[in-house]
Amino acid sequence: MILEVIILGTFKMYGEFSRKSFQRAAAYRFDAWTRIIGNVMFLFMWGFIWYGLYHGKGEVEGVSFQAMLSYILISQALQGLHGAGTPLWEIQERVRTGDIAMEMLRPYDYPTRMLFSDFGSITFYFMTAIVPLYTVLFLVLKPVVPTSFSQGGLFVVSAILGYLIRYCIELTFGLFTFWLVETGGVEDIFYFAISLFSGSVIPLWFFPGWLEQVAGYLPFQGIFFVPNSIFVGQLTGQAVWDALLSQVIWLLICYAILRFVWAKASMKIVIQGG
Amino acid sequence: MVESWLRGISMYFYMVSASIRAQLQYRYAFIMNILGWAMTYAGTAITMWVLLYSFGTLEGWIFWELIFLFALAVLSWGVCMIFFFHFRSLDQYIVNGTFDRFLVRPIHPFFHFMAMKFDVGAFGQFLFSIVAVALSYSHLNLHWQAWQWLVFLGAVWGGTLIQGGLLVAISAMAFWTTRSERLYWVVMWPAKNLMNYPLTIYPRVIQLLVIFVLPFAFVNYLPALLLLGKTSQTMAPFWGFLSPFVGMIFFWLCFRLWMLGLNRYKSAGS
Repeated sequence: MILEVIILGTFKMYGEFSRKSFQRAAAYRFDAWTRIIGNVMFLFMWGFIWYGLYHGKGEVEGVSFQAMLSYILISQALQGLHGAGTPLWEIQERVRTGDIAMEMLRPYDYPTRMLFSDFGSITFYFMTAIVPLYTVLFLVLKPVVPTSFSQGGLFVVSAILGYLIRYCIELTFGLFTFWLVETGGVEDIFYFAISLFSGSVIPLWFFPGWLEQVAGYLPFQGIFFVPNSIFVGQLTGQAVWDALLSQVIWLLICYAILRFVWAKASMKIVIQGG
Repeated sequence: MVESWLRGISMYFYMVSASIRAQLQYRYAFIMNILGWAMTYAGTAITMWVLLYSFGTLEGWIFWELIFLFALAVLSWGVCMIFFFHFRSLDQYIVNGTFDRFLVRPIHPFFHFMAMKFDVGAFGQFLFSIVAVALSYSHLNLHWQAWQWLVFLGAVWGGTLIQGGLLVAISAMAFWTTRSERLYWVVMWPAKNLMNYPLTIYPRVIQLLVIFVLPFAFVNYLPALLLLGKTSQTMAPFWGFLSPFVGMIFFWLCFRLWMLGLNRYKSAGS
């Protein structure tokens, strides 16, 4: 009974962070909507690049242009959602300025609080920008879409897992600022690795064999490639469950690393403050 | 007139040298910054390679031609960054009320703002683009005549002015809307990325737009046609020669826009 109250209370508290950040996003809605312009421009660019690449070709590696178009669309939509959360530099800035110490004094778990805050701003962006825009795009362009309810459901589960994986990795990376004041060059490799190996713009099935294998051993493919592939129907049957399982395993590993780094970072702040 | 210009220029160099020394103070950050930029571009180049691995060509452009097209844009962007990249954050100065100090000094405000930073991080752009141009030059077995070298220099000069002009125009928007940094990331950055690929993959409207309105086509695509000996069905080859002139006209227009904004600037302070 008491445990229930605690759990419910905790949930309510974190839910409040989501609600607040939703309201914040609504107050700064202009920012959210200008961001969609950049998102659409990149969608436009990749759409025409793939159109140009497919020019005069029917299927490449067993993938039609309509499927590829669908891949790009859903990938840009997901990337838009990922981008609506707290950006990496903001976390780094909080570490550099020491503001993060204030967060640690408060009776909540910082990584969890950030996650729930992001849920709020992402929900706002999802409802007011991504859904209206991409609904129109999907209706006009008529790409391949999930044909069954279960395929759509699995896509949603996989997309959420992908979001959590990216969140853990990015926050962990942001926390490295505790040790490295300047993360310049490392940060660029990190971003490049995410953008290429997550399949955000090029699906892994177009990679050269050896590179595809490398990508298979990395956690990044779970971010965009797996949900996108489920969405366009390139991943079916048993393969879907295998991919979901690998996402779950990677999420657990990334979460464990995040917890470890966070624990270390907390110690670090005590030493610096003392 | 001439005297004040000369004084302005010597003051510019004085301030630039101060800015460089300031940036060199943090040696580790300085090197990481350069390497970071170079690696970001190398990353894009690798993405292009992966992209063409299964497909071979993009509208008749092979990998090394794409790299050349990309590197040409990065080279002039590097020069442009040194002088104009900080213009995007003009809104910060206006919002904080610190812009006023540029108005009360005995130097032209535009020059003064321009001299404020001399971004040495741009050496990363040079590192990448020079290596990439050299590699594609040898892989494509190019043998440029003297006039082609002139086209190349003209493209760098014109590209610097075109991209710099656009940065100036974006910063001018801050005088009206108090926003510029955001505009850069939302409009110019994606637009610049569009130009890393051959223009002909995009619809006609876009092609006309980047030739006649925002002359991005003169930064890399049109000169690259001449330099790589390629032909296009819709664009006359001589257009590539025009880069430096288009650059100067465009930059002048953007500069006038900036001055127009400056004249209606009202301080945010009380």
